[in-house]
Amino acid sequence: MEAVLSGLMGGLGLVFAPMAFFFVVLGTVLGIVVGAIPGLTGAMLIALTLPLTYYMVPTDAVVLLIGMYVGSITGGLITATLLRMPGTPSNVMTTFDGYPMARAGRPGRALGLGIAASFAGGIISWIFLLLLAKPLSIWATRFGPFEYFTLILMAMVLIASVSQGNLVKGLVAGLLGMLISMPGVDPSAGQPRLTFDWYMLNGGLKLLPVLIGVFAVSQIISDVLDLGRKIERVESQRAGLLLPLRDWIRHGANMLRSGLIGTLVGILPGVGASIGSVIAYTTTKNLSKTPDEFGKGSEAGIVASETANNATVGGALIPLIAMGIPGSVIDAILIGALMIHSITPGPALFITNGDVVYAMIAACLVANFVMLAVMVASTGWVAKLAYVPRTYLLPVIIVFCVIGSFGLDNVMFDVWVMLIFGVIGFALERARYPLGPFVIGFVLAPLMEAKLRTGLMMTGGTITPMFTRPIALAFLVVAIVLLVWPLVGEWRRRRAAAAA
Amino acid sequence: MQDRVDPRVEIGVALMVIVIAAIALFETRDIPPGSFEPLGSAPVPQATAGLIILMALGLIVRACLDRRPVARPPREGLADAGAVLLLTLLYVTAMHYRLTTFAVMTTIYLVLTIGTLIRFRPRSMPLVLALAAVVGFGSQYVFTRVFVVDLPGL
Repeated sequence: MEAVLSGLMGGLGLVFAPMAFFFVVLGTVLGIVVGAIPGLTGAMLIALTLPLTYYMVPTDAVVLLIGMYVGSITGGLITATLLRMPGTPSNVMTTFDGYPMARAGRPGRALGLGIAASFAGGIISWIFLLLLAKPLSIWATRFGPFEYFTLILMAMVLIASVSQGNLVKGLVAGLLGMLISMPGVDPSAGQPRLTFDWYMLNGGLKLLPVLIGVFAVSQIISDVLDLGRKIERVESQRAGLLLPLRDWIRHGANMLRSGLIGTLVGILPGVGASIGSVIAYTTTKNLSKTPDEFGKGSEAGIVASETANNATVGGALIPLIAMGIPGSVIDAILIGALMIHSITPGPALFITNGDVVYAMIAACLVANFVMLAVMVASTGWVAKLAYVPRTYLLPVIIVFCVIGSFGLDNVMFDVWVMLIFGVIGFALERARYPLGPFVIGFVLAPLMEAKLRTGLMMTGGTITPMFTRPIALAFLVVAIVLLVWPLVGEWRRRRAAAAA
Repeated sequence: MQDRVDPRVEIGVALMVIVIAAIALFETRDIPPGSFEPLGSAPVPQATAGLIILMALGLIVRACLDRRPVARPPREGLADAGAVLLLTLLYVTAMHYRLTTFAVMTTIYLVLTIGTLIRFRPRSMPLVLALAAVVGFGSQYVFTRVFVVDLPGL
């Protein structure tokens, strides 16, 4: 514990250095702004910012991105409350009660509850991040290749099974992401594969152009299709933005419960903020003495949704730091950011780059305070950004997508990759294939394959340790249960429907 | 009951996925087996591609058998999306062949794209021209002089 606290002090020292602090504030503000503009997401912002981080020191780069992560999850609550348009997918549940409350003449109160809940969720999950990341990373050092392989296998099945859409589409998206990561010289054997004898593919498809394509370009195409949508608007109000102490106490139990749910959901690989807020909202509604008020402007509904979605941020950073497994799509992008700076996330991260880890943890804390201050001070102005005409904004973002992809290695090949994956991502989304598993599959596949092949080399080609080593077996069993459970559920539903 | 995706979209996307996986599967045919390790470079992509093809075929069969109501996507934005894609394709092609400077290509691209989206409304065009020039020339200046990043184009 002493080492953790001293590490945290060191991290806070790094974050409060003038340049790093500037980047935390900048990242949080940009995250809030982008989160508040419907159609733009935190993943898009972070993917587009990655190229600029090449030129920063690693600490500045990660604190900037963490600030964006925290800000973007929170910024979405403004449009969810005032426009019934969730700024990011994780704010969907907030629209159910935030908008009715705003329509009923209490927009300041609705936003104030959301801001306070977001802060509470961020702080609750941050405490778990601080306390769990190091012990979990120490535990993870016991993992051999088969444990890692089965852990990633479990993560992939989990991501596919809880993503939007059905399990099979989630699995196809995840496997496609894995396949797309395979062209290039195979690092285990030095053998070129899937390169079509084309030298440009020897280095494989890079993460950044694929990310920008899948998250930014495909989103822009979807947004252009949606340009005609009319927006109902409620004006913002300053009254009620700062929650009095008695309200913090009154909603304390809900904040704590939803914060715990959000943190736990965040820890599960790849599940993300949307699911966290849905589970917390449903749980709070089920426990409420007045469930009928939910969906009509319930304070508890706003608190549950916003606490949980912000709590997933800290939760999702735990497996990233401790094991190198992304807890959400944005965490997959953060892994990319770390790798750009030659930092490999995983159990050894505390030893090899302890300063960067504690800077990330400290940035998560500081970004939550910055978020609280910025949201209370400027929600009215930020709300106006939602009316920036998207007809002007979207083409400008495409230009930045081109710059971001080209800036990686100064080759047009990466721009073409971005464009092609923009179209592929758009097509997948139209058919309701979740994009989260695709990106996480792309990031995790090289590690998964490397672990499997290392394990097989150690055992002379046998996979028996997968069944004889307890941790590997446990991950494998969970993966099988996660795979079979939805199918059994579907079969039982169909049988019940046929019987009825 | 949740609406299902338009079967034409469902089948089209599944076919796209199958084609990508099939190309990958075909490309792995000549990869030699591993010489110093048991697995080699081919089995993982082969297994991945094979699983994708099997599951995507399952999705096609399901799309054909599903009788739930179809969610018809709105069609009004299709022309705009097509135009933006086409203009972006031309913009990237122009940069590929370095037809002129990044600033000029970007300014032209933004005028045409934003103009298309606002139907070249005369009252708004001065603003569009100004925005396009600021983004085009401004980003060239900022990225090449401040961030010292190369940009595509001459």
